[in-house]
Amino acid sequence: MIVYRCEDSVESIYTAVYQAYEERRNHEDTILCLTDDPVLFGEDVAVKADSEKTRRVMNTLVRRFGMENSRHLAMALASEDEEKAQAVYRTIVEGLRVKCRPGHLFDNLANYQIHKAFALGRGVSTEVGHQLQFLRFQELDNGVLYSKIGPKNDVLAFLMPHFADRLPIEHFIIYDEKRNLFGIHPAGRQWYLFRGEEADRPLQFKYSEDELQYQELFRQFCHTITIEERKNRKLQQNMLPLRFREYMVEFQ
Amino acid sequence: MEYLKTSQDMPLEEKLQVLTDAAKYDVACTSSGVDRRGNGRSIGSCVAAGICHSFSGDGRCISLLKILLTNECIYDCKYCRNRHSNDIPRATFTPEEICTLTMEFYRRNYIEGLFLSSGIIRNPTFTMELICRTIWLLRNKYRFNGYVHVKAIPGAAPEVIEQTGFLADRMSVNLELPTAEGLRTLAPNKHRKSILTPMRQIQNGIQANRNDLVLYRNAPKFVAGGQSTQMIIGATPENDFQIINVAEGLYQKFGLKRVFYSAFVNVTGDKCLPALPGGPPLLREHRLYQADWLLRFYGFRAEELLDERRPFFNIMLDPKEDWAVRHLEQFPVEINRAPMEKLLRVPGVGVKSARRIVAARRSGSLTFQDLKKIGVVLKRALYFITCSGKMMYPVKLEEDYIVRNLTSEKDRVQFGSDGMGYRQMSLFDDVNFTRPVTVIEQQQAAVGQL
Repeated sequence: MIVYRCEDSVESIYTAVYQAYEERRNHEDTILCLTDDPVLFGEDVAVKADSEKTRRVMNTLVRRFGMENSRHLAMALASEDEEKAQAVYRTIVEGLRVKCRPGHLFDNLANYQIHKAFALGRGVSTEVGHQLQFLRFQELDNGVLYSKIGPKNDVLAFLMPHFADRLPIEHFIIYDEKRNLFGIHPAGRQWYLFRGEEADRPLQFKYSEDELQYQELFRQFCHTITIEERKNRKLQQNMLPLRFREYMVEFQ
Repeated sequence: MEYLKTSQDMPLEEKLQVLTDAAKYDVACTSSGVDRRGNGRSIGSCVAAGICHSFSGDGRCISLLKILLTNECIYDCKYCRNRHSNDIPRATFTPEEICTLTMEFYRRNYIEGLFLSSGIIRNPTFTMELICRTIWLLRNKYRFNGYVHVKAIPGAAPEVIEQTGFLADRMSVNLELPTAEGLRTLAPNKHRKSILTPMRQIQNGIQANRNDLVLYRNAPKFVAGGQSTQMIIGATPENDFQIINVAEGLYQKFGLKRVFYSAFVNVTGDKCLPALPGGPPLLREHRLYQADWLLRFYGFRAEELLDERRPFFNIMLDPKEDWAVRHLEQFPVEINRAPMEKLLRVPGVGVKSARRIVAARRSGSLTFQDLKKIGVVLKRALYFITCSGKMMYPVKLEEDYIVRNLTSEKDRVQFGSDGMGYRQMSLFDDVNFTRPVTVIEQQQAAVGQL
């Protein structure tokens, strides 16, 4: 049994997939593993991330499975599950084997690995949706919009395009405090991600003059719009889980 | 004029409070139907599915900044909080205030856009002009590219409504009450005809605009997100059958995107209105929404769900279950064969899971385990489906039995949290092992033979 030891990154995992095909492995007998746990009778192969190989795998995925499905695979890889690499790898193998048409990669949900990759991707996609809804910007002294999030999965890369498209003329920063990752968008230019050191953790900010006033206005708006006769905390909590609230101005 | 002046002097916080409070009974707070990328030069974009940015204490979504332009209304509709005979604080926003609020909230990702409605100030056309001017400012001076939903005021001049339509993403005219008769008693200043006229105008405008867009790709879009309307439920004695018939008519004849139902909340205490000691009719509203979905996505027709003899929805069962138990001759449905339309009629199977079933069964026959993965709600569906000719449990295809199982907690086939499986027994369960004492045993006990 061949065990490819990957790091937890898209590059590393897609390079391993490329290598598995390049070295003509028997896919039934090959595992992609993110941890260092020993595998019985396993032959370890260390994977070195390679951007060229990654690019070629991605191109193949888009060509064979279509944009939507390859995006779903990328989302599955952003989840926190340890078996995600194996699930994605097996899904790709299965899709190439049956020569599925673009957009039909996840049709066979009765297959365990395909369902797993599908469920992981769906989970991340839901979280991306939640963050688009519940993320809040605060205006700093220098006019930069700053937002702090603490998502379960690594969703920042999927949030940036949405906000860059929506607020092209603003400087904004989204900070993932769980991974110490910054998404930075300078006005009118391309956004990029920046992985910070421990010392880069932002601590204190000075808000702009109007910031607190608008926060208060919105808080008041949310309060006033509630219809007392229809009060339903349970429903509110279903739609807006508590874990998001510590980052939202209207609940502070 | 002095009155207007004092309202101008009101601080912004107070104004926002008064005019939010006045707008909160409007239900249509959606930001869906338009997919528009940002243009790179100004702020804003729209996502087809819509985005809800927060949820208020009643569980309703906060998607748009929902406010009235003014609540200084000249009308006296009996159900409305803003009727002119009601003694409440009044306020009016200036267009600039609305624009700044929208922009500042939008930048901070608080809202998805603006929902602007208004009380009638002076006359309908004047009010509509004010709304139109505000939206024009927002679009052109503040260069806002996000979602805008405005109310078309019944009775306003068609030119102003048309002009507004080119600036807004969605427009709505409130039907207010399902029947003309109800409208006559409760809203003396509004008429069925004056409500339907702008609705028809917007429908024709959308149609004409669609033809223009075929010819000229860059023609300005007219009400790209379609139009919607809302009805108040429970203020007048209409039954559910009448209401969904009206809704169906609106979808078919007026090409509406959505019809919203709003459970009546008695805020004015007028003597013509019903007192609702049990709170607003929320379950009734819920059933109407469920039926509305069946009409729009599941291929049901209004007269299939209800008829004159049973004009109200079942309280215990949702409309789909209700329909299914009354049409058991069409069940069970074989999951591996049945066409899409049949699958959609099974309780517990939604549009998405039906689509997934059709896709997944190409690569092999499906079992109940697979259905669970696909997302079918088995605790509702199991009475109505077979997989490769077998039912999940030996259940009787009998109306009483199924209704009892669907509604009562106790008699239900036992499930685990995942929808199937078995329960761990414990010594403290009262599973009714004791049998009733027979007559013979009583006699034996009496003569001391036990």
